[in-house]
Amino acid sequence: MKRKGICITSLVSALLLALSFSATAEEGVTDTTIRIGQWGPQTGPAAPWGAVARGTGVYFQMINDEGGINGRKIDYRMFDDAYNPAKTKAGVKELQEGIGIFGWASGVGTACGLSVKDYLMERKIPWVGPAAGSLHWISPPQKYLFAVYPLYYSEAQILTKYAVSTLGKKRVAIAYQNDDYGKNGVAGAEKQLAKQGLKLVAQVPVEVADTDMKPHIMQLRKAEADAVLLWVGPVHAARIVGTGAAMQFQPQWMSTSTCSDFPFMFSLTKGLWKNVIVANFGELPDSTAPLMQKYKKAHEKYAAKDERWGVFFYAGFGFVEPMVEGLKRTGRDLTRERFVKEMEGIRNFKGIFGTIDYAPYEPSDVYSRQGQKEVFLTQCMEDAKAKRLTDWMEPD
Amino acid sequence: MTDFLQMIASGIAVGSSYALMGLAMVIIYKTSEVVNFAQGEMALLSLFLTYMVLEFHGVPYYVAFPGALLFAVFLGCFLEFAVLRRAKEPNVLGMIIITIGIEMILMGLVSWKFGADPKTMPFPIGPYDSVAIGEVFVSSLEVLTFVTAIALMVVLFLFFRYSKLGVAMKATQQNSMAARLMGIKTKRILMITWGISSFVGCTAGLLIAPTTMQPYMMWDPMLKGFAAAVMGGMTSLPGSVFGAYLIGIIENLFGGYISIEFKSVVAFFIIVLVLCVKPSGLFARHFVKKV
Repeated sequence: MKRKGICITSLVSALLLALSFSATAEEGVTDTTIRIGQWGPQTGPAAPWGAVARGTGVYFQMINDEGGINGRKIDYRMFDDAYNPAKTKAGVKELQEGIGIFGWASGVGTACGLSVKDYLMERKIPWVGPAAGSLHWISPPQKYLFAVYPLYYSEAQILTKYAVSTLGKKRVAIAYQNDDYGKNGVAGAEKQLAKQGLKLVAQVPVEVADTDMKPHIMQLRKAEADAVLLWVGPVHAARIVGTGAAMQFQPQWMSTSTCSDFPFMFSLTKGLWKNVIVANFGELPDSTAPLMQKYKKAHEKYAAKDERWGVFFYAGFGFVEPMVEGLKRTGRDLTRERFVKEMEGIRNFKGIFGTIDYAPYEPSDVYSRQGQKEVFLTQCMEDAKAKRLTDWMEPD
Repeated sequence: MTDFLQMIASGIAVGSSYALMGLAMVIIYKTSEVVNFAQGEMALLSLFLTYMVLEFHGVPYYVAFPGALLFAVFLGCFLEFAVLRRAKEPNVLGMIIITIGIEMILMGLVSWKFGADPKTMPFPIGPYDSVAIGEVFVSSLEVLTFVTAIALMVVLFLFFRYSKLGVAMKATQQNSMAARLMGIKTKRILMITWGISSFVGCTAGLLIAPTTMQPYMMWDPMLKGFAAAVMGGMTSLPGSVFGAYLIGIIENLFGGYISIEFKSVVAFFIIVLVLCVKPSGLFARHFVKKV
C-alpha cells in the first residue's frame, strides 16, 4: 500500500513537473527546434517576389546543416498567400494558433504585412525584416517588429537628391503604383525637392491592372520631365521604359530597389534598362564578398534547379540575417522577451545588406526599429553590368 | 491635336489585342452560348510551350509559331472532347463553371512548370520598335496586331456567312436538335468551334507575349475581350471588334483627359451603360426561340 502511494506521488509530481516545464517553455521552441514562419506569393501577379521566402528557406537549411543555432534547428514554415492580405491573415492565424510559431521572418507585401501586424503585435510575437520598405512598420515603432528594408521614402529622397544635385536635373517627375508603396515614393521625392526649392512636375499613377503605358508616357512627356522616378513593380517599370523608347521620350529613368535586379530588368526590356539608375539595399548579384560567395554555394546546393540567383532570392537571406544574429545572441535560454532585448543590442551589424542598427524601444524614436537606413546607387551598363555611382548614403 | 491623335492611335493599338480575344470568345458563344473563361489560359499553355522550344531547343520561328497555333487547335478540340462533352446533363451555367475550372488548372500547370518570373517571348519584331506617323508613334508590333485582328475578323466573318461549316455552326447554336435532324454532326461542330477559337486566342497571345509573358498575362486581355464581345452583342464578330476598338479608344481618351487612375475600369462602366440602354449589345441580332 505504501509502495503504491509512493508510486502515485512520484507519478503526479513528474506530471506536474512536466506541465510546469511546458508552461514556461516559449511557444514554438523545443529542446531541438525553433519554429519560424513566413508568407510569400508563390502564385498570382506578385509571384516573382516569392523568391524571398524560398531564399530564406535555403538560408535556414544552410544554418541547420551547419549545426543550427545554439543547438536548435530551425523548423521553417512557409506558405503561399498569393499576395492576398486575406490569405496572409488566415495563414498566419492557422500556423500561429495551430502549431505555434516563435517568430515571423520577412514576408512580402505592405498590404499583406499590414493585415497581420496588429495580430502579431498584440500577442507580442516577434517579426523581423518585412520585405517592404514601408513607413507603416516603424511609424509608430512596435516593440516586437524590427524592420530591415530601407524605407522607400528614403530611397526616393536619395535618388531625387542625386538627380538634382549631381545630374543637374530640374524637372523631376514620378510614375508610381497607386498604393502605399508608390505613395511612399511620391512623399519622399516631394520632401527632397521642397528642400531644394523644386516641385514634382508630374505625378502619374499606375494601376496594377494597367498594361498600356502610352497615356502615362504622354503625361510625362507633356510635363517635359528630364528625370523620372519609377515607383512601380518590375513589369510596369519595363513597360514604361520600353514605351518611352518607342515614343522617343528618354529622360533619366531612376527606380527603387524593387527594380534593382539588372540582369532580370535588362532581359525584360531587351536592353533598354541600360543607363537606368537604381537604389540598392545590398550586395550586387556578382559580388565577390565572402558572405555572398558562401550564400551562392548554398543556393547551388539547396535551391531548386531553376531557381535564379537574383536579388530577391538572396534578399531572403539578407532580411533574416539580423533575426539569426538575435537568436544567436540570445543563447539557449530562448524566450521572446530575451530575443527582443538582444535584437535591441544589435549595432553596426553587417551582413550582405547595409549596416544594421537597432536601439532600445522608444515610442517616439521611429529609428529604434528601423535597422538599415542606407542605400547606394548604381547605373545599369552594357550587358546588365552595374556601375556603382555612390557609396552607402543616408537621406539628409 | 497631336495628343488627341496619339490617344486615338494608342486606343486602336491596344484595342487590337482585345479584339482578338473578343473574337475568340464570340466564336464559342455563337455555337454553344457558353462564355469560355479558359480562353486566355488555353492560349497561355501554347505560348509557354512555344517559349520553351524557342528559348531552350533552338527551334526556328517559322516552325515554332505555326506549331503553337496547331497545338492550340488540338488543345481546344481536346478540351471540348475530353472535358466539356463528358458533362452530365449539361447546361450553360454548368459549362461556364467547367471553363473556370479549366482556367485554374491550366494557369496552375503553367505556373508550376515555368515559374512566375516574367519573361519575354523571342519574336522577329522588337516589342518597342516603333514607327512614327508625323508626331504620332505606333509600335511595329501593334501595327502587326491591328492587321492580324482585321484580317482574322474578315476571314471569320466570311467563313461563318458563306462556308458550309460556318453555316452548320450557326445552325447548331440556333437549334441544336433541328441541326442534328438535318444531318449536322453537332458534337463534331462544337469540337471544331473550340479548335478555331483556341487558334484565335493563341494568335492574340503570340502578339502579346513579346512584351511580357507571365502566368497571369492573359487574364486582363481576356476580360477586356469579353467586355468588347458583350458590347458588340456576343454573337457578332464585327461587333466584338468594333467594341474592342471603342473600349481601347475610350480608355485612352479617358486616361488622357479625365483620370488616368480609372482608365482601366472605364471599360466596365461603359458595358453597364450599354447593357442598360441596349441589353443585347450594340450589334446583336439575337435569335429568338419560338415557344
